[in-house]
Amino acid sequence: MARSGVPLPARLAEYVAAGLQTGFILALLLACASPAAAQVDFSGQWAPVYHEDNAERIPGPELADYTGLPLNDAARLQADTWDADRISVVSSYQCRPHSADYGMRGLGNLRVWADLDEKQQLVAFHTYMPAWGSERTIWMDGRPHPPDYAEYTFQGFSTGVWEGNMLTITTTHLKTNYYRRNGVPASDKRTVVEHWTRHAEFLTVVTVVTDPVFLTEPLVRSQNWFNDVGQALPAFNCEYASELPGAQEVPNHLPGTNPYLTEFADWYGLELAATRGGAETMYPEYRLKMGAPHSKPPDRCKRYCTCGGGFNCDVNPARR
Amino acid sequence: MIARIGLLVATVCVSAASSLLAQGPPGPPGPPRSPKAAAPVDLTGYWVSVIAEDWRWRMVTPLKGDAASIPITPESRKLVDAWDPAKDEAASVQCKAYGAAGVMRLPGRVHITWQDDTTLKLETDAGTQTRLFRFGGTPPPTEKPSWQGYSVANWERPPATPGAPPTLPIFATRIGTRGRSLEVTTTHLRPGYLRKNGVPYGDKVSLTEYFDYYKEPNGDEWFTVTTIVRDPQYLNGPFITSSDFKKEPDGSKWRPTPCTAR
Repeated sequence: MARSGVPLPARLAEYVAAGLQTGFILALLLACASPAAAQVDFSGQWAPVYHEDNAERIPGPELADYTGLPLNDAARLQADTWDADRISVVSSYQCRPHSADYGMRGLGNLRVWADLDEKQQLVAFHTYMPAWGSERTIWMDGRPHPPDYAEYTFQGFSTGVWEGNMLTITTTHLKTNYYRRNGVPASDKRTVVEHWTRHAEFLTVVTVVTDPVFLTEPLVRSQNWFNDVGQALPAFNCEYASELPGAQEVPNHLPGTNPYLTEFADWYGLELAATRGGAETMYPEYRLKMGAPHSKPPDRCKRYCTCGGGFNCDVNPARR
Repeated sequence: MIARIGLLVATVCVSAASSLLAQGPPGPPGPPRSPKAAAPVDLTGYWVSVIAEDWRWRMVTPLKGDAASIPITPESRKLVDAWDPAKDEAASVQCKAYGAAGVMRLPGRVHITWQDDTTLKLETDAGTQTRLFRFGGTPPPTEKPSWQGYSVANWERPPATPGAPPTLPIFATRIGTRGRSLEVTTTHLRPGYLRKNGVPYGDKVSLTEYFDYYKEPNGDEWFTVTTIVRDPQYLNGPFITSSDFKKEPDGSKWRPTPCTAR
């Protein structure tokens, strides 16, 4: 007999039953638990919203529009040499993809999916954008970035960490690319930090680019998508073609010879210095020192006045 | 027996899920904390809008008729093409571009403070406007339309499908238990402009904003406010922008200015 007066075999059975029940509950708790690190699932189909800088991102930027970019003189010099015919002549430019940072600004349709391991822990997010078939991997398993001598690619090497409901991504090892599709250069020394947040059906991504070669301070921009469960993304095909047969040189404008640098200021009634960009021009106090427009402003908008949320973005629609 | 196991599964999972859902911002047990005390991020201070987007629509008053990027209706287009700032000045409505649906896109600084434990105050130096974000409650029935309207705020809860019915999370839990975003919903707005060149919003407009704080490796502190404007009269869908503000060490660059129509 045991102390409690209960026969030992009966008490043993109670212990076993209690142990089994505890183990069962623990197992259930484990089964119910979500991956420890995951805070928000960004997986799904995301359609872009072009309610900012629509004319720049859809039809494309005007030549010599450097507004809103904290450029240094080296960046301006390189951008001023840009000639869009370069794409027609130099085959390596023809199928050149947007890099990870510009891709999120140029903004296209986006699909995100997650890799989970056998313990249902998040290993990585992947993104696919049809423009140039760009696919990224964002590692979530704590792995370090590779050494500097590792391969540089258009999508770079990305790792992510959670800050509450915000996913913060750091990307390095990016090839040279552009901040705007009118020749404003981005160097391979840049680092990109992104902050992803999801609010109901909307996704907001902030991109913070630090570039010691071409920027005097970080470039911070933010862009938006909405969840579109009906979206299906195609593959992207790009073929090289000689569009200017016989061209003997890379189209360019040597320093001081580009005749198109004032068009943008004239068309929109802007101070020429402001169109050259620079960190100073991005702060409210610049309005106090902003000079007169480069030429007499038009009395009303004459270019890209009707770009709405989509592609109805004619240069000069018949209505006007 | 099967029923008992099912009940056990449900009990355990509901218990686990409830525990996770209840986490919110970490804090000691006890009576509910005030919104100020429960704030998961600190949005107070002076912040400057850094204009890296929409520069020529924000840093200068855009040309008449320029509504690029905004999904306007034909009815709106008529007003955009007829914009006359002199008429706004004559009618003393120079603040139409400084209402809640437009003011966060204007170049300037904002000063955020706690007015009390349940009210966050956001002041703008552009147009010298004051917005009040009230945690809890609903607009009183007597609320009159104003430039800044009536704003209800909350610390955003974990992501969920809007309007979804309650579920029994067997073998699943809700994620996103550590929200850090401020959600603000604004109604009772007086008709105004989305841009200074007269792109209109009407009296049926509603506004949802999400404020997200982040800190960069160089120590800079920022918030981005995602703004969703819905206006069945002048927009053919939600108008969505996100505006970025950098924290400043003090108010030395704070310069309140009056509203202007041009």
